[in-house]
Amino acid sequence: MAKGAKLRKEKQSVAVSGESLAQQSSSQNRRWTRGFIIAVVLIYVINKFYIPVAPMQVKVAFNTWLSLTSMGEIMVFILMALGLNIVVGYAGLLDLGYVAFWALGGYVAGWLMSGFFDQVTFKFGGNPAKGLPHGIHLNVFLVLIAGGIFTAIWGVIIGAPTLRLKSDYLALVTLGFGEIIPQFMVNGENIGGFNMTNGSKGINPVDNIKIFGFEFGPFALADKFLLYAALAGMMIFLSLRLRDGRLGRAWLAIREDELAASMMGVPLMRTKLASYAVGATAGGVGGVAFATLIGGVYAERFNFQISIIILSMVVLGGMGNVWGVMLGATLLAWINNTGLVQIGKIFNAATGMNVDFPSFNFLIFGVLLVLMMLFRREGFIPEARVRLIMHEDEFADVSNVTDQIKLEGHHHHESH
Amino acid sequence: MASTTASAPRASVNVGKLLTRVSMLMLGIVVVYWLGRNLISSPAQFFTVGITGLSNGALYALIALGYTLVYGIIELINFAHGDLFMLGAVFSYFFLTKFLAAEGGSARNYGLLALTLVIAMAFCATINVVIERLAYRRLRDAPKLAPLITAVGMSFILQFIGLKWNGSAPRNFTTILPNTSFEFQGVVVPYTALIVVSLTIPLLVILVTLVNKTRQGRAMRATAQDKDAARLMGIDVNKTISFTFALGGAMAGAAGLMFAQSYGTVAYNLGFQLGLIAFTSAVLGGVGNLNGAVLGGFLIGLIQGFNDGLPFGPGQKWSQTMVFTILILLMVYRPAGLLGKATTEKV
Amino acid sequence: MSLTNKPVLDAQNISVVFGGLVAVNDVSFAIPEGSIVSLIGPNGAGKTTFFNVLTGLYQPTSGQVIFDDKDITGLSPNKIAAGGVARTFQNIRLFGMMTAQENVMVAMHSHMKAGVFATTFKTKKQRQEESEARDFAQELLDFVGVGETTHEYARNLSYGDQRRLEVARALALRPKVLLLDEPTAGMNPNESAQFVEFVHRLRSERAVSILLIEHDMSVVMQVSERITVLDQGEKIAEGSPTEIKNNPRVIEAYLGKSGSEASQNVN
Repeated sequence: MAKGAKLRKEKQSVAVSGESLAQQSSSQNRRWTRGFIIAVVLIYVINKFYIPVAPMQVKVAFNTWLSLTSMGEIMVFILMALGLNIVVGYAGLLDLGYVAFWALGGYVAGWLMSGFFDQVTFKFGGNPAKGLPHGIHLNVFLVLIAGGIFTAIWGVIIGAPTLRLKSDYLALVTLGFGEIIPQFMVNGENIGGFNMTNGSKGINPVDNIKIFGFEFGPFALADKFLLYAALAGMMIFLSLRLRDGRLGRAWLAIREDELAASMMGVPLMRTKLASYAVGATAGGVGGVAFATLIGGVYAERFNFQISIIILSMVVLGGMGNVWGVMLGATLLAWINNTGLVQIGKIFNAATGMNVDFPSFNFLIFGVLLVLMMLFRREGFIPEARVRLIMHEDEFADVSNVTDQIKLEGHHHHESH
Repeated sequence: MASTTASAPRASVNVGKLLTRVSMLMLGIVVVYWLGRNLISSPAQFFTVGITGLSNGALYALIALGYTLVYGIIELINFAHGDLFMLGAVFSYFFLTKFLAAEGGSARNYGLLALTLVIAMAFCATINVVIERLAYRRLRDAPKLAPLITAVGMSFILQFIGLKWNGSAPRNFTTILPNTSFEFQGVVVPYTALIVVSLTIPLLVILVTLVNKTRQGRAMRATAQDKDAARLMGIDVNKTISFTFALGGAMAGAAGLMFAQSYGTVAYNLGFQLGLIAFTSAVLGGVGNLNGAVLGGFLIGLIQGFNDGLPFGPGQKWSQTMVFTILILLMVYRPAGLLGKATTEKV
Repeated sequence: MSLTNKPVLDAQNISVVFGGLVAVNDVSFAIPEGSIVSLIGPNGAGKTTFFNVLTGLYQPTSGQVIFDDKDITGLSPNKIAAGGVARTFQNIRLFGMMTAQENVMVAMHSHMKAGVFATTFKTKKQRQEESEARDFAQELLDFVGVGETTHEYARNLSYGDQRRLEVARALALRPKVLLLDEPTAGMNPNESAQFVEFVHRLRSERAVSILLIEHDMSVVMQVSERITVLDQGEKIAEGSPTEIKNNPRVIEAYLGKSGSEASQNVN
């Protein structure tokens, strides 16, 4: 076995191909990053400069199929799907109550940038709507940070006692949590006499965003879109960086073999908590962003379906793969907010029927999850290793055989 | 190597244990005070809501059995099970109330009710077996995440079927079971509660006997412990698992019918919340333990009944929160449930 | 001889009871600093259970584990590992879908610091830490003889290379004690013979004390300075290879009372 030294030289030639593997992935990342930026800039420029002067038909077409609101929503969903991806895709923990973090983030926006708490008047870089001088009005960046921190804390509070459970139990606890938080929001108009959430009426309006003196009014959708795209971009960056570092390795190790990971000095609780907290932060930031997008917070919107839709985005794209999840989020968010309705309209007009297309989203997301798990567990743009993990059962026999072959070859080699 | 004494040790174990004990004790005191105060101030109401709770608990127990049977044998939380119950309820409405036009309590209708009970059970059993056959079976050796996500997807598909079948609004109808009640010492006892409980108990007894006493039951227990060993002993593992799903489905079908008949309403989204409550019951009793599921069902029913109905308490709007808080506390402090055993991983 | 050194790991009166079953009964066992010692016994003798106590996976029902003069009984596995007790597994437990390099770097987790912030912004410290970790990983991969597999997925390595990679991963913890659980399982006699040499290299070049659980008697006899024999959870003998070879109780434990049982009891 003392061949290490001899192999030093050999290694260098092999290492070149190894390095190129790493380079491959980084050049892939560069290509995707470029694509993302180009797409965002294109959408912005077209909407900001071309659409206002475009012919009526083009305007209508864009508004029906690729409206800026839906684009902004897609960016928010990319942000949240990537957050969930850290929990489900990287660390392998099934979280079925992710909507809770979205809700908490939304209410942070409701609390900190609206006239809702009219008992106080506090303005710090905020932008109170006309006629609503009271309440708390903070600058949107501060609210984004506050939302992130607030949900991160909640992530830790929820995670600390539950993350040591088996994966399927964890799924249930998170599901329960995802039910409790929205119910609290619905019932929260009278917590010991204090109106905390305004119940099912929700909190609105949430202040318009104002950055460096520029106000993003209700019609400044292109500018808002740019802000959400920047947030999504930051999450992409964070996801890629974390994956290649100390935490990312520990998460992948836990996903593969928790026990072995702990025996290699990885503190399970802390590492899982970190993934949970990062995921929660993204959910919270997404919640704040969404509240500013629709200009309000409504308790009923935070239901179990949303958790499943976000999970579907992660599954469809390929658990753990940043770009896959990004595409999954883009596609499913679009289907959910635009596609189903518009295709339904066309279908109904063409056939004279009256099919309620949006009601099919149960079927679509259900079938999608089942089929993906049955036939393409690795998602559509899988990371090589995810493909292997998700098909472990099928590959097991093959790899045993190859192991044996290699072992025999090895014997030859060693017997010289 | 299953044992609580050998489960993963932690340095903070003593501090943690002490904290757990103290917080559990405090929680216990709060609960006792809450129940005690209500019992003293309005005893009749206390027992009235208790009886409603027990009647609901019987339904939870039936649904919980489906979760526990399946979890016991293939370690899968079958998220679709609650929606199977919903389909059972919707089916029984369409079959009994619409197709057989059985409304109101005549002798003929009671006969049809018994018939529908059997058919609804067969209906849900079939669906459950088909789901297992088409989806879960192919994922039996896959990483745990895969069947779990599949079950969530199945739940959505069943909900969709319910939505298209039943419509988006709840349907109300006249039941066969009387919606009247009698009073005993001020305690209101609905007849449906009596009927539901007296129908549930024989079902539970039959099921437990089936699992504990018959050859098929032995095969189930053997498969649950070790599939490979069971196979070597000549047990048809696939058939046994199908049988388990059939049993669980049948219980959900029975629960569906009884729910429809005691409340006179069905809706496509019944399954999600009742399913979760039933699952909490299963966990409370100890997942995989039949007696535990029954005990858990009745306990959760009682707790929910008290929460919803007692004059001095959180009230119905916190019902869900109450149940899920119990679920979370349980998972955190006693994941093995009341009657279950903790397990550790083999190395 | 190294056996007279002060023990680096000292397990005192360890008992483990599962339910009513006594898996390990009052076993004391020390690993002197710089020594190579072995734990043997028939199947079900409690060897792996004892291992699991040393690495913190099980809490002993009674008894203490002293490592480096500190009581580590009941500490969580990751703390014990980070403290310098590393192990390999009887049935290989690599992170199959991570590269060989990543496998080794996972084990450096406790010696590294970078958190979310530093990793995201690739601070100077983080970059330095990562590059040092990569170098150290390569050094270890070279040391065990799989230096050419750096960027291959662990699951694609041959069985023998996977065993070596497990050792490299364990070494990444910078351990004082290395516990090897049946390291030659699945090796042919030739590889086993090389393994003996490898264990000596491990001790001399990586400065670790080594505890082996092993079934291959020729390996055990060649490599161990002291052998401890467990049978049905109890320590029935301890001594040099020659002493153990001639100990009647050991022979009985291995061969059973009648010869016909021998084939069942000896693995």
